[in-house]
Amino acid sequence: MLKGRIWKFGDDIDTDQIYPGKYLPLTDKQEMARHAMEGVPGAEKFIKEVKPGDIMVVGKNFGCGSSREHAGVAIKGLGVSLVIAESFAGIYYRNSINIGLPLLECKNISSIKEGTIISVYPETGKIIDSDTGKEIYRANPLANLELEIINAGGLLKFLIKNE
Amino acid sequence: MAGKTVIEKILSKKLGKDTHIGDRVWLPTDLVAMRDFGGPNVILEYKENFKDSPLFDKDKVAITFDLHIPPRDEKVANNHKICRDFVKKTGCKLFDVNEGIGQHILFEHNLVHPGDVIIGTDSHMNLLGAFEALAMGVGTTDITGAMRYGKLWYRIPPTIRIEINGKIKKPVCAKDVILYVLKNLKTDGAINKSVEFTGNTVKSMNTAERITLTSMVTEMSGEIGFVESKDSIFTADKDAIYESKYEFDVSKLEPQIACPHSPDLVKSVKEVAGTPIDQVFIGSCTNGKYEDLKAAADILKGKTAKIKLIIVPATMNVAKEALKKGLYEIFLSAGAVVVNPGCALCTTGHPGILANGETMVSTSNRNFIGKLGKGGEVYLASPATAAATAVTGKIAVPE
Repeated sequence: MLKGRIWKFGDDIDTDQIYPGKYLPLTDKQEMARHAMEGVPGAEKFIKEVKPGDIMVVGKNFGCGSSREHAGVAIKGLGVSLVIAESFAGIYYRNSINIGLPLLECKNISSIKEGTIISVYPETGKIIDSDTGKEIYRANPLANLELEIINAGGLLKFLIKNE
Repeated sequence: MAGKTVIEKILSKKLGKDTHIGDRVWLPTDLVAMRDFGGPNVILEYKENFKDSPLFDKDKVAITFDLHIPPRDEKVANNHKICRDFVKKTGCKLFDVNEGIGQHILFEHNLVHPGDVIIGTDSHMNLLGAFEALAMGVGTTDITGAMRYGKLWYRIPPTIRIEINGKIKKPVCAKDVILYVLKNLKTDGAINKSVEFTGNTVKSMNTAERITLTSMVTEMSGEIGFVESKDSIFTADKDAIYESKYEFDVSKLEPQIACPHSPDLVKSVKEVAGTPIDQVFIGSCTNGKYEDLKAAADILKGKTAKIKLIIVPATMNVAKEALKKGLYEIFLSAGAVVVNPGCALCTTGHPGILANGETMVSTSNRNFIGKLGKGGEVYLASPATAAATAVTGKIAVPE
């Protein structure tokens, strides 16, 4: 179960906004996290105030564009525990699983209120309002393989474990 | 039993069994590629996790320098060195700073075959669908894992079918066709799907044109694009099952242009003709082939560009052909800056990015906000439209 405060963002946020191209030569993960979401208009408050464990709720096609894994790594580096989207672009989806950052696709999640504290169960997709204890959304549960990779701590650890 | 789509045929040949949409499978990889961006991260990750363990197959791992070439600063130079040292140690392939855009290099060197599973650190890797390869852009962790184990986890995507009919007439070209498709399908129209292009318009396309189509499947968030031709090895069965089907008639299509800041904000060039432009870029994995440069040269011949004009061949082979056939003479006489082969103006960090408020017509595939300089505005169009714009200094319909 993951519990955290929600930060909301819109549709079609591409990886150039999540992690601007000028920082591509960086290879240090902490340095990368300092530039997370830097190109997203209106993300200033989030960048300043996001806390470990917080949850991002985004619109459709999140992470479209360039294949840079830096995007997911930088978001994870901020301490974000989960990203919930209407839909993810394919490469971002893979990258996020591979680095062990959980993500869920959930229809109509865009209607949730910013700042809500939620408890989320990735195996079932249950999203519960922590204040009321009521289930408010049901995301598509993560597939077994994706869960196994995340639980192993990412793809490489998974591959080594199953060698 | 229903018929199969192209990707279902490739997968059943590869895996020796039928698959279903949504299944997770492990695909054996035939080629694992990385670039000068992504590559250094992969190598560091490889060393951290696998120490001195050997690659799954050194002849199936390639590094292509195509982004910051030659290195623009010390950081990039050091990144290139990380890659070079790794090549020396492991014996994998390296295509150096003079060669050009990765995917184009790979097929020029005959490393791409129908039915191959190919991954690379480039979201436009899937343009190799033009060669019937199941090619995907992935991140550094997928590449690192595949380099060691030669396999990739994969969820089987559904397929959409796009039938395009009608004869297009010059100066309308494959770029106008794919922009028109994007206008209709939008940036998430093919999200995580396999795309099959068919119809009489695409069946008669040459390799260069097929690449232009497949190189923009990513802009519809598609996973892979295949283009039916008379030489296709993998063709869909008549009773194959598609998630959705689209049909377009392009016989009356006019030149198209994507406006700032999204590849699906497409209008006819006529609608925005006259808009002042500061710079034109002709090149990229979408439109940097010889045929693209030739289409631009036909318009630039004997004329002078009124604005900054930057031309970048996709590969050294393309550059050599352009030189041999007199295109450099035309470009240089027109006042163009002709840069060494590579990705060039597809992202910041290259010579030629925009100042705040400047506008550019580009033959590339993306015009996301800030991608080529904060405050810059980018339009996407064909080489012919780009060349006509360079000559007039305003968005212009090519003659």
